[in-house]
Amino acid sequence: MSFREKSAWVTLTTILLVSGFYFTHVPRPFDPNPGEWSLFVIGVAIAAFVVIEVVAHVVLYLRYPKDARTRKDERERLIDLRATRLAAYVYVAGTFLAILTPHHGASGFAVGVFVLISFMIAEIVNYAARIIYYRRG
Amino acid sequence: MTKTAVTNKIRRLRFDHGEMTQQELAERIGVTRQTVNAIELGKYSPSLEVAFRIARVFGVPLEEAFSYEASEEK
Repeated sequence: MSFREKSAWVTLTTILLVSGFYFTHVPRPFDPNPGEWSLFVIGVAIAAFVVIEVVAHVVLYLRYPKDARTRKDERERLIDLRATRLAAYVYVAGTFLAILTPHHGASGFAVGVFVLISFMIAEIVNYAARIIYYRRG
Repeated sequence: MTKTAVTNKIRRLRFDHGEMTQQELAERIGVTRQTVNAIELGKYSPSLEVAFRIARVFGVPLEEAFSYEASEEK
């Protein structure tokens, strides 16, 4: 398994963990009074994501220093581009759907939550696609 | 990445050149070992530059390392 594939697994796992934490603690999107708790949860989720990513990648770097220092080659750059393009489609579709929710009574907070959901799903698609492309050769 | 129409003899060339490993070839042409493996298996078509580098490592013309099987047009 290449270093970049290991890194993709780490990031995918981190996104799933942080998303799971966020969606089990955030107020429901249609809650009329989300309060400051939702901001706190977002802050904790972002901080947790950064810390886990940094620590995990430092461990990867120390474990595989030679692979970590190798620059991305053409195939890895192509995989990144294809996965990012897929993620962009998901994010744009999700955002457009989120914009429609006020027509069904959603508040500004709800729109923000739905945009965040589409972003998280897009990133999951991004890193899952990278892993699939790496596995397929 | 699906199988490409470009085939190659890289594995045989490696063995004919002192049983060169994929890792050694990868370091000489500037790609990862996994990319060399993907090229050998026909799952990835390298760029022209990488193809030329591979041919140069083995001291052979490009056509000896790679060949293109055009499918019949219907």
